[in-house]
Amino acid sequence: MQTSDLIRILPEIILAVAGIVVMLLGAFQKQNAGRMHPAIALLGLLGAAGAIAYQYPWRSLDPAFGGMLELDAFSAFFHILFFLVAALVVLSSSEYVAQERLASGEYHALLLFATMGMGLMASSNDLIMIFIGLEISSLASYILVGFRRGVATSSESSLKYFLLGSFATAFLLYGIALMFGATGATNLTEIHLALQAEQNTVTAMASPQLTPLVGPVPTALVGLSIALLFVGFAFKVSAVPFQIWTPDVYQGAPTPVTAFLSTGSKAAAFAVFLRVFMVALEGSAQDWVWLLWVSGLLSMVLGNLAALLQTNIKRMLAYSSIAHAGYILVAFTAHSEEGVAAVMFYLAAYALMNIGAFAVVSHFGNRGERYVEMEHYAGLGYRAPLLAASMTVFLLSLIGIPLTGGFFGKFYIFRAALHADLVWLTVLGVLNSAIAAYYYLRVIVFMYMHPAAEQIPVERVRPAMGFVLIFSMAATFLLGIFPQAVLDFASQAAALLLENLGNGVL
Amino acid sequence: MTWIHDHILTVVLFIPLAGAILIMFLPKENKNGVRWAANLTAFLGFLVSVPLFFWFDSSVGEFQFVEKVEWIPSIGANYSLGLDGISLLLVLLTTILGFIAILSSWTSINERLKEYYVFLLLLQTGMLGVFMTLDFFLFYVFWEVMLVPMYFLIGIWGGARKLYAAIKFFLYTLVGSVLMLLGILALYFINRSQTGVATFDIVALQNLNIPVNLQLWIFFAFFVAFAIKVPMFPFHTWLPDAHVEAPTAGSVILAGVLLKMGTYGFVRFSLPMLPDASSHPMVVNLMITLSLIAIIYGGLVSLMQKDWKKLVAYSSVSHMGFITLGIFTLNPNGLSGGILQQINHGISTGALFLIVGIIYERRHTREISEFGGLSNVMPVYATMFLIVAMSSLGLPTLNGFIGEFVILQGAFEENWVWAALAVTGIILAAAYLLWLYQRTMFGPLDNPKNKNLKDLNFREMMTLVPLIILAFWIGLYPKPFFRILEQPVQKIMERVRPAYYAAHPDAFGAPARLNAAAQPSASLETEAAAVRSAEKRAGASR
Amino acid sequence: MVPLSYYLILAAILFVIGVAGFLFKRNIVTIFMSVELMLNAVNLTFVSLSYSLRQLDGQIFVFFVMVVAAAEATIGLAIIITVFRNRESLNVDRIDLMKL
Repeated sequence: MQTSDLIRILPEIILAVAGIVVMLLGAFQKQNAGRMHPAIALLGLLGAAGAIAYQYPWRSLDPAFGGMLELDAFSAFFHILFFLVAALVVLSSSEYVAQERLASGEYHALLLFATMGMGLMASSNDLIMIFIGLEISSLASYILVGFRRGVATSSESSLKYFLLGSFATAFLLYGIALMFGATGATNLTEIHLALQAEQNTVTAMASPQLTPLVGPVPTALVGLSIALLFVGFAFKVSAVPFQIWTPDVYQGAPTPVTAFLSTGSKAAAFAVFLRVFMVALEGSAQDWVWLLWVSGLLSMVLGNLAALLQTNIKRMLAYSSIAHAGYILVAFTAHSEEGVAAVMFYLAAYALMNIGAFAVVSHFGNRGERYVEMEHYAGLGYRAPLLAASMTVFLLSLIGIPLTGGFFGKFYIFRAALHADLVWLTVLGVLNSAIAAYYYLRVIVFMYMHPAAEQIPVERVRPAMGFVLIFSMAATFLLGIFPQAVLDFASQAAALLLENLGNGVL
Repeated sequence: MTWIHDHILTVVLFIPLAGAILIMFLPKENKNGVRWAANLTAFLGFLVSVPLFFWFDSSVGEFQFVEKVEWIPSIGANYSLGLDGISLLLVLLTTILGFIAILSSWTSINERLKEYYVFLLLLQTGMLGVFMTLDFFLFYVFWEVMLVPMYFLIGIWGGARKLYAAIKFFLYTLVGSVLMLLGILALYFINRSQTGVATFDIVALQNLNIPVNLQLWIFFAFFVAFAIKVPMFPFHTWLPDAHVEAPTAGSVILAGVLLKMGTYGFVRFSLPMLPDASSHPMVVNLMITLSLIAIIYGGLVSLMQKDWKKLVAYSSVSHMGFITLGIFTLNPNGLSGGILQQINHGISTGALFLIVGIIYERRHTREISEFGGLSNVMPVYATMFLIVAMSSLGLPTLNGFIGEFVILQGAFEENWVWAALAVTGIILAAAYLLWLYQRTMFGPLDNPKNKNLKDLNFREMMTLVPLIILAFWIGLYPKPFFRILEQPVQKIMERVRPAYYAAHPDAFGAPARLNAAAQPSASLETEAAAVRSAEKRAGASR
Repeated sequence: MVPLSYYLILAAILFVIGVAGFLFKRNIVTIFMSVELMLNAVNLTFVSLSYSLRQLDGQIFVFFVMVVAAAEATIGLAIIITVFRNRESLNVDRIDLMKL
């Protein structure tokens, strides 16, 4: 271990320290001194972001810990995204934590630990590290989901998330084990080389250093392993047919945690999904592209159809999150540089608009999340004009109306897919995104066009929440009108990620 | 003056947006302040657009007033604006109808006034952008963005079934436009692989050679979007709902401008970018058949309506059928008639909706059977209604006649059956409009509720008078309009039927050199050359 | 010597038993134990592969899996306890407050 290794994981170290400090403060302080916790959490996130920025430019960094971690532009992009998501969630949960009397210290500590796990996921270049990062973030999330201990739905969500999550992890692990058996490696780059050497054995014979350690790679084992890895990742990104947990978990979890899961965790899962499949398994793309094709299509269709039937807004957004995973899989199916960049851009745009939408839901929900049905939103357009207007912006962005980040996200996705000649998938995808407009519009209809049956109480917006709303709205518009900077970042990261793969040079 | 000359389109485009932002900051209670601000903005928008008409040089074939700024270089999208004859007329129509629509809502809208005007002005910017832009990507942005204010206008200030109508409008249009987006992307990739340049520039995309079967696919992707917007026959079901439920200003804008975006799309994109698909016999037959069905079906359904506004809405289906018929005759007469008829339809149907709106505001019903003998109490109203109805049914000296006549000429040139069937549409129009007029304006004034109706006030007259003046102008002296259309029509014809002008050297819009070289030998030579080049192009594209 | 394939097949059988237990058992604790069985099947796979490949990576991996499984067990049991407090039942069929 060298100093440079430590610098590579400095962001994670800072987060872990901040998390421990917050947790200890929570344990030793009086109940009412919870105001410090969000501040320390934000400081920790800021420090971690600073540690990422300190290592700029990310292109030339050596891998750390013998190739276990890779802090490239790809991982920097995701780190920044996670920190942003976590910071917005911290800010938007200040109202919630106070009103539900949650243990503030533990809550913020767990958020930081989960973010740290996600950061590790984004930079790991080794299946072991991926597993550990995934588990760190998952274990913290399991608790966060059940954080309203006395509420039956919350603990029920937590249980479902935990059982199904560990079930999926077991599949992922089995996939890792078989991949290890087939290639003799857990490092993604080495797996890539081993598989590539298998594909053109002539090259392998000519350059003995590339010969896999176990002789010929058993293709059946590789195929099985890819399928198992796919199950594990598809579960984490909530793609059909491994989506069944999503609506229940998203509905029962505390609303800010739902926002965190649907944006941060999903992005982290896609980050490892992309890295494993695009770096290690790119050579056998023909084996897994059809899996993504089918799963992407089914996610869009089932997610949208089920969302049409929902009356609970959190549940509706949960189904819509399945559909959005489907759109992202469409770009993934293209398995090109453009596709990777499109996935990254979409995740950023989706995170911002979805956090905004959940922030509004959390605010309207009031104590005990009483008001989360669509009918509760009737007439809010006139009683809380600014909140309703921001909700409208987020929903329009989720539909994909131009001038919002959601539109550009979809545009890049479908551009990448069409460029990869996935014509039918693209056509079905755009039609799906048009159908999806219906259920988002229903919320707008309730807010502006229905007389209120029950006047739900609307609390005053606190500054932290106001900041979250303004920030996510501004960012949604910014990504919709001037997407250039973020898109350049994403494309460069994608280019660097795939740069050295074509010619088999490490 | 040069600055304004160079940036006039940007100014015209963003005046409504600026007004909308200004109104957002006005206090809600100050209703008259909001009204004045909105009306002044719209009037200013109209005033600024007037110089376009005088500065426009109709002898130039290229786009004018061009502005271009890089927007998203990595995908090649630009903020680029420009006008040719077709878009000039539509932009002017939009600014004047926008102003009239806002003026017409002074008293009819009383709740959520501020939001109402904000949405109307946003809509105005969206529509202007659609007609002005020279970048296909920007076009799509405007095309979709404009859905949102229209959705709110119908959904908040609409009639009894407003929710249904608003969502139907939104979803129909959205489904069409996402398919169009794929078509746009396909053209973009084809252009990139042929020229190596990633661009959405409309002029560049108009010069592609694409294999016919690919053209057909893209054509149908565009077709769905444009046909829903027009709306053409099987896609028209959203229109009556949206029209009937929308507030008056919404209907005026919807009929006057929004529907034109569909036909504009055909003329601007489908024909010049996909010439071989557009002139493919299957496509032509399909489009003509759908147009004829729309003409006759729209007329028959109008005849049966009991609701005044619904009648006007269905008459729109019929009239828009004329426009698509004209466009897909693919000859200069049909095209120029089809384009001019877009303006005419905007004027006369817009005015018809205003007429309906005025009576609805007084009586809060649109049942035709509720009315009768109105000409006794509202003579000025009855007179104006008569002129507008005549303009809509195509009486000579009024605008509708010119447009429909030229379209029929074009249709007759291709196939007399088309013209004959289309004429029945005119007869039906005469029937339903005159019958409507008779039932509402003439007869005994037997409904007591109608006895005390007030005639038009000055403001209401001012909404109708400009349209009536325009109707007479186009009806009596259409020459300037045709001159403006000459160059664009010629360009489209050269893409769609390159050999046409050689064979018809005195047709509308024929290049001047052909007219000058009327000697038989020279004419034959050019014709042969034109035919050869056409064959070469056709061969290359197959 | 016992060939590698025997170990792998045994591990696969254990894994499938775990899956079946997860899907068909109704008691939450049993379901949780099925997951543990699956993890241990994976561990067996790792160890045997590691031995036959003469590579230590697999063995190290097993330690990580064991640590994580322990952490998972503590959190899982805590969650199960809160569920039991709220519902007074450990039958998954009765954990149905939210419709599927």
